[in-house]
Amino acid sequence: MFSMLRINTATGKTTTETFTSKDFLLGGRTLSSRLVSREVPADCDPLGKKNKLFFCTGVLCGTTVSSSDRLSIGGKSPLTGGIKESNAGGIVGTRMAQQGLRCIVLEDAPDENGGWKIVVVGKDKTEFLDGEFLAGKGVYEKSDLLSARFGLKAGCITIGPTAEKLLYATGIACSDPHGVCSRYAGRGGLGAVMASKKVIALVILGDGEVKPEFKDQEAFKAGAKKIVQLLKENPVSSLFTKYGTAAMVDICQALKVLPTRNFRHGVMEGAEKINAQTMYDTIKARSGEGKTQHACMHPCAIQCSNVYPDKDGKLLCSPIEYETMALMGSNLCLQDLDAIATMNRIANDAGVDTLDVGAAIGVAMEAGLADFGDTAAAIRLMEEVRTLSPLGRILASGCKIAAKVLGVRHAPHVLGQAIPAYEPRGTKGMAMTYLSSPMGADHTFGFTLRDEEVPTSKEGKVALSKKIQVIGSRMDAMGMCNFVRYSVRDDMTPLLDLVRFRYGVAISEEEFDDIVKETLRIEHQFNLDAGITAKDYRFTETFYEQAQSETGEKMDITDEESALARKW
Amino acid sequence: MVSVNFKLSDIGRIEIRLDRQLTLATLLELCEKQAGIDLWGIIAIRRGQVLTKNSLVEDGDEIDIFPAISGG
Repeated sequence: MFSMLRINTATGKTTTETFTSKDFLLGGRTLSSRLVSREVPADCDPLGKKNKLFFCTGVLCGTTVSSSDRLSIGGKSPLTGGIKESNAGGIVGTRMAQQGLRCIVLEDAPDENGGWKIVVVGKDKTEFLDGEFLAGKGVYEKSDLLSARFGLKAGCITIGPTAEKLLYATGIACSDPHGVCSRYAGRGGLGAVMASKKVIALVILGDGEVKPEFKDQEAFKAGAKKIVQLLKENPVSSLFTKYGTAAMVDICQALKVLPTRNFRHGVMEGAEKINAQTMYDTIKARSGEGKTQHACMHPCAIQCSNVYPDKDGKLLCSPIEYETMALMGSNLCLQDLDAIATMNRIANDAGVDTLDVGAAIGVAMEAGLADFGDTAAAIRLMEEVRTLSPLGRILASGCKIAAKVLGVRHAPHVLGQAIPAYEPRGTKGMAMTYLSSPMGADHTFGFTLRDEEVPTSKEGKVALSKKIQVIGSRMDAMGMCNFVRYSVRDDMTPLLDLVRFRYGVAISEEEFDDIVKETLRIEHQFNLDAGITAKDYRFTETFYEQAQSETGEKMDITDEESALARKW
Repeated sequence: MVSVNFKLSDIGRIEIRLDRQLTLATLLELCEKQAGIDLWGIIAIRRGQVLTKNSLVEDGDEIDIFPAISGG
């Protein structure tokens, strides 16, 4: 039996419903996308009262299984106009599980002139509190105020000042294990959706008393240990522990797909100044609060996150991920990790997606608003975002809108969502994934790069992308961290056994993959119903017209090929 | 001599003398034997070009080996 707490943000009424279906059993993106599809009219205004915002935990959340407590947040995206699931680590999923909740949904919307509210979910009641005192404040200050009021153990979800203004590239910040709202469901503008409901924070109190139940507790314990063993033994997972995702800087530079100069190039001179080794050495040398290894949730055997300190050893930003290092670093020709960390911190405080705003700044630089490589100018542009200047609001609306306003044709996005940190002309597998994701350009949706024998060729990439879409989507489908997939990509039984030991429900690998594929079908149907057509799944024309200098490659994937990669 | 540089790894650099062309797959097997390691998921690059397992390598080649991981 799984519980969903419905919260009507217009009336304040709350109801709890229970379900037994496999959608609710699996949770994560399996659940969020089905609920969005069933309950949100595809053609609705994403910032209107018909949209809903779903917060879903996964099938093993609240147990001792490593990396299983991610929170999937779903709704209709204002950025793409389609379906969206964006997920984050942190402790909110754990707190929901302790309250016995698989899903919380924010429904309806109050009058636009209504005041900001904090919705507090506890074991005895759900209540709406005045949240006006948080309005206009940065996420870090909001986080401190929420922790002071509700305790460090509370799982807090909040938005930044940019989301309060309903800007499209805004995310949702979730409490990390230290009580800091720094774990972002960053993509797709879901921060603006939360703001449209006048909910400035959603707090899951730490007073939940629900403990996980098991059909076979001893087998479950052994199975959980096996997952840790698999993660420890897997060389890829163990590499994440040392370097985190930053290891991709060198790999992408070598493959000539490191986004550089607004995705004009795939190689940046001086990339070694912002690579994993430099970051590792810098954190070690500065010591203090810096950590090369850090868990975004508990329990986690991978611990790929980091804490990047300033020159005095004080926390500057946590975490810094490869995607941000590329979009706010190489893409702007910045060779300064401190600058990237500073921009990342400002982005987290303002409540924006580092990818979309990094790409928007790249567009602004191409428009001549600043020089590529100008560190001070890049930070100044981020300050414009934080202070909500007119230019800052444009940047916080994402790279597609920024490009239109600033008169730049070479806008790196698909469906309005910025391209992640792999230059698509140099990796046709990733390009195929960008063009076939129902969420807009998304790397986690089907990370082909490591499996591409000839990255510059589109041959075989429909099949490869589809294969990896299933592998990648398996983790989202269960609410697990994506990096667990390396340990189970050829054999999902260790995770499916855990589902059986916990719930007594046997799901075969084939049945599970059918559920994953059905999720993809549902998501694509939602987009179709929302009015998104095959012609929208394209890069801007410049990617097809102009060769990327280092690879000499143009985009050559046709509409028909990308349509095949979306067919399930 | 072919030089195989294992990036982002404690393995470091392995040098192997070749008297004939070999496939990358065979070369990697030699590296595994020489260093006592098991390679799992790699991206091999020579002069800016990705090598497949069937690509031929020869004396004088310098090959960078990256772990095949992903971003987050």
